[in-house]
Amino acid sequence: MISVYGRATMPSKMLDLQTSQQFGWNLSIFLRAFLLCLLIFHRNIRSFPYFAAYLVANLTKAVILHLAYGAWGMDSWPSYFVAWGSEAGLACLRALAVAELCRRLLGHYRGIWSLAWRVLLSCAILIVGYSAIDAASAPQHSLAQGVIAANRAIELAVAVVIVVLFAFLRHYQVASDPAIRSLALGFCAYSCVSVVNFTILDKFINAYLPVWNFLGVFTYLGCLTLWAWALRKAIAVPPFGSPSLFAKAVYQRISPEVNAQLRTLNDQLSQFWRTEEPQP
Amino acid sequence: MSFFYLAAVALLLILLFWALRAPRKQASGAKNENALLGQAGRRHATYLPLIRQALSAGDLAFVASRGFPELYQRLRKERRGVALSYLTALHEDFSRLLDLATVVAALSPELAPTQEKERVWLKVQFTWRYQLLRVALHAGVFPQHKLDILTHQVSELAVRMETAIRELGERAAVAAKLASSLDGRGVDVV
Repeated sequence: MISVYGRATMPSKMLDLQTSQQFGWNLSIFLRAFLLCLLIFHRNIRSFPYFAAYLVANLTKAVILHLAYGAWGMDSWPSYFVAWGSEAGLACLRALAVAELCRRLLGHYRGIWSLAWRVLLSCAILIVGYSAIDAASAPQHSLAQGVIAANRAIELAVAVVIVVLFAFLRHYQVASDPAIRSLALGFCAYSCVSVVNFTILDKFINAYLPVWNFLGVFTYLGCLTLWAWALRKAIAVPPFGSPSLFAKAVYQRISPEVNAQLRTLNDQLSQFWRTEEPQP
Repeated sequence: MSFFYLAAVALLLILLFWALRAPRKQASGAKNENALLGQAGRRHATYLPLIRQALSAGDLAFVASRGFPELYQRLRKERRGVALSYLTALHEDFSRLLDLATVVAALSPELAPTQEKERVWLKVQFTWRYQLLRVALHAGVFPQHKLDILTHQVSELAVRMETAIRELGERAAVAAKLASSLDGRGVDVV
């Protein structure tokens, strides 16, 4: 977990917080290890390599930070850079894990996936781009606010990508494994809470810091619990690739015709309101 | 700009709630797809001539001219019920066309973004107008003459749609059979 207070210090803050928060943090470390064991035990590592890598990196980060704080202290610049460097690496792995889940859910439908990945990537780029412009146009600049803006942008992008993914699943009525959906939902819930958490923190840095830490820890704990529930059984992941496809021409011919019919129905509905009373 | 982020999260949660609701049916297997393509031609228009006759404006005028206020009110109420049923049928037609497009999209190797975007927009527009009309009909704010026109238009449209949907369904079914016979593994896309 991260904390931002002047020179953004990292999990060190956790150690000084209340017992419940410490308990939550310790429990989350245990759950991360447990999740990794579940992945190995059910032989799902091959199906979810990036998700597994994310969990390993998450655990490794905790160890690295522990060593860094021990060596340089909690408020030193080396600790600061180690903390944020590892956080950046973790964010990249999280993005890859989310992309992996998207592919697992939609990848079996070649046509839908070819459209979906472009839309999802565009959403992520737009969100990050907007957040960068928003942060750059702020009246005051500080390192802490930059860190908040970057984290918030990543979390919002993750949330948007997953919600758009679920919208795709719904729109195309795609059958999906509930366990994989739960994994994606865990990422989404955590990201949504984080965006709100970061936004409030941005406004009230000093006053909100303890609440921010507390919410962060327990949201992540909830997310880990959801993942553990999803991974309690082995997930059967079929190989990608669909042998039975229409020829490209079928879609090109039928799709415009269906749209034309839909348009006709739509026009009829809109005309109902416009009809005038016949003159006697 | 804090408001933007909070509003974005609120919007995302609404979208998420909508997306996670159980869909009407899922494009999960060959059975569903084949059934959908097979049903594409079936319509409720079989009884439409009878319903149209029952909805003729002459009947209502006749009852009104004879001075049966209770019967007139009852007739109006029933006509509204029929109009609502027609609207539901129209919605079913729309949904079936969307389902057909969904199956074709799921089985296609490549989708056209413009076509898909248009379909999403049409769906949004149709749902909005449909719900608005339903509310107006239930509330009784829909004028009687418009109700007459509505029922007339829908019955005509339903006949046209029957032909169009049947044609599209038959063509899609033929294409699906062709695809499955080529590789001998059915049209199951999962």
